[in-house]
Amino acid sequence: MAMETIETIEKNSILIADDAEINREMIKFIFDEQYSIIEAENGEQAINIIAEYSDRLCLLFLDLLMPKKSGLDVLAFMNEEDYINTIPVIMITGEATDETDEKAYEYGASDIIYKPFAPNVVMRRAKNIMELFEHRIYIEHKLEKRTRQLRESREKLERSNEFLVNALSSVVEFRSLESGEHIQRVKYFTKLFLKYIMKIYPKYDITKEQASLIVNASALHDIGKIAIPDSILLKPGKLTEEEFEEMKKHTVYGCELLEKFKQEDNEFYHYCYDICRYHHERHDGNGYPDHLKGDDIPIWAQIVSVVDVYDALVSKRVYKDPFAVEEAARMILEGECGVFSPEMLDCFRLAKQELFAVTEGEFSFADVMVK
Amino acid sequence: MTVQEFYDEVGGDYNEIMSRLRTEERIRKFAGMFTRDESYKTLVQTINDGNVEEAFRAAHTMKGMCQNMAFTRLYRSSHEITEILRGKDIEGAKQMLDVVTEDYNIVIAGIEKLLA
Repeated sequence: MAMETIETIEKNSILIADDAEINREMIKFIFDEQYSIIEAENGEQAINIIAEYSDRLCLLFLDLLMPKKSGLDVLAFMNEEDYINTIPVIMITGEATDETDEKAYEYGASDIIYKPFAPNVVMRRAKNIMELFEHRIYIEHKLEKRTRQLRESREKLERSNEFLVNALSSVVEFRSLESGEHIQRVKYFTKLFLKYIMKIYPKYDITKEQASLIVNASALHDIGKIAIPDSILLKPGKLTEEEFEEMKKHTVYGCELLEKFKQEDNEFYHYCYDICRYHHERHDGNGYPDHLKGDDIPIWAQIVSVVDVYDALVSKRVYKDPFAVEEAARMILEGECGVFSPEMLDCFRLAKQELFAVTEGEFSFADVMVK
Repeated sequence: MTVQEFYDEVGGDYNEIMSRLRTEERIRKFAGMFTRDESYKTLVQTINDGNVEEAFRAAHTMKGMCQNMAFTRLYRSSHEITEILRGKDIEGAKQMLDVVTEDYNIVIAGIEKLLA
C-alpha cells in the first residue's frame, strides 16, 4: 500500500543546501521554472527537510562546508536512514581535492560539481541523474513486486505439495486403522532433530531448504506398507518369523512405488527414496533391507529411524501398552531398542524434553504443524 | 555604470559571468545579494576572536561566492586566506585580512555604484 502512495505524490522538489544565499540562488534560477525549490542554509535544516519531505524530493544539491552539520553529516544521515538510495545527491564544492571527492562518493553522492558552474551543464547533469534514479526506483519496484509474486506462488505450491504428501502418507495409516497422528509426530520430531543436527553438527551441511524437504519426505517413510497384506498389517498379535520377513519388505515396496515416478535430478525424490528404504537400517549393520552400516546410512534416514522407534515405543499398539517417555528414552539411549550413531543419540538427548512434551500431549498438533 | 564597467573596475571576469548568468539583470540581482551576505563580517569577527574553525568556514564561503560571481581578484585573496586558515595560522590570516578587506571594499563600492 505504501508504495502506491509514494507513486501518487509528485516527486518534483529540489533541495538546495548551502550556507550562502548567493550560492543557493545560483542553482535555484536554473531549476525554479520546472521544479519547486526548497532551501536549507545549514546541514541541520537540510536533515530536517529530508526527513519531512523525502517522498517528494527528486534531487539534493549539497554544499560540503556548512554550519551546524556539514555536508558529510547530511550524507551520513541519509545513509543511516536509507534515503541515499531514493534521493540523488549532487555535491557542490569550491575546490577539487581528491580526499573530499573520494569521501563524498564513498558516502553515496551521485556527482560532484565544482564552482563556478555553467547552468546548462548543471541542468543536463542533474536531469541525467534524476532520470537514472527514477528508472532505478521503477525497476526496483517492479522487481520487488515480481519477487513477491514468485514467493507467493512458490509458497502456494509448497502448501499443495505438503498437502498431497500428507494425504498420500495417511492412506497407509488409514488402512492400518491408526490414529493418523503418527505421521504428523514423525514429521515434527524429524524437524526437531534437524534443528539440533544443523546446530551442533555442521559437518552434515544441511541447509534450511533441505531440512524442509526432509521433513516433508519423512511423512512417506512407511508408504510401502500399502503393499503388505491385511493379514499381516492388521494382525492383532506378534508376527511369526515369516510374517515379519514380509513386513520388513515394506521398505523395498515403498521404493518400488517411488521408482515408478523416478526424478533423478530431484532432491526431494532422493530424500523420499532414502527414507523409505533405510529407515530400518541400524548403525551396527544389523538392520534391513541392505544392512548398511554407520554413515553409509543417509543422515535423514537415521533421523527418521530414531524418531520412528521412539514414537512406536510410546504409542499404544494392539500387542503392547505404551512405555512411559522416560523409559522409552532410556531404552533408546542404552541401546535396548535399535542401535543408533553417537550423533543421533546426542540429538536425542537434546531433543528429549521436546519429544516428551508432544507425547504427553502438552500441546495440540494442530497448533504445531499448521503454519 | 554598466555591468561590464563594474567588472573591469573590481577585477572580475565579465565574459565568464555573462556566459553563466546570461542576463545583466540577473547579474545585478546577484550582486545585490552579495552585499547582504555576512561572510566577510563573520570572517573579521572570528579572526579577531581567534576562532580559527569558524574563520575558515567564513573564508571558504566567501571564496565560493566569489567563484560564482567571477570576482576574480577578491576570489584570489579569499582563496589565499582560506588556505592560511586551513593551516590554522591565525597570525598569517590577520596579515592577509588587510588584502581581503581592500579587495572586498572595492567590490562593495563597485556594487553600490552599479545599483545606484
